[in-house]
Amino acid sequence: MDLVLQYLVYFLIASCLLSMVRVIIGPSLPDRMIGLNLVAAQTLVILVILSVAMDRSIYLDVALVYDIFGFVGILALARYFSGTKEKP
Amino acid sequence: MIEILLLLLFITAFIALQLKDMLASVLMLGVFSLLSCLVFFLLHAPDVALTEAAVGTGIGTVVLIWVVHKTGRRDTT
Repeated sequence: MDLVLQYLVYFLIASCLLSMVRVIIGPSLPDRMIGLNLVAAQTLVILVILSVAMDRSIYLDVALVYDIFGFVGILALARYFSGTKEKP
Repeated sequence: MIEILLLLLFITAFIALQLKDMLASVLMLGVFSLLSCLVFFLLHAPDVALTEAAVGTGIGTVVLIWVVHKTGRRDTT
């Protein structure tokens, strides 16, 4: 693996870790949802970078499928939150 | 790299078990599914990672949110 890509993956994992703090300690549920969205976006970037580093184009399909179904999951969460008015 | 991810998987699963709010637990399970997808990817198993991304993240989150909506959010035990 190229050295630049390797350090980039490490940096993104550390950034993922910092975003995960908001998912864990987030006071309200929309905070946690935004944190999950952030972690999902950074993991998507890690998947694409690893696919470029391993030089296999079939690995890009994982990132593609993850993006599509992650969007469905976030959509279901937003649909649930739009019905509730309570302050958690 | 894979040791860090396995440690994160353990921490995420433990927090998802300990949370009292069920919806927050579902969100932590989403993070768990994401990290396990990354672990399968690093172990050179893209088909397993593909299935994990489709089932664990997409269908699993939708079904669990539906169940929480039907039963109630707080863990009273």
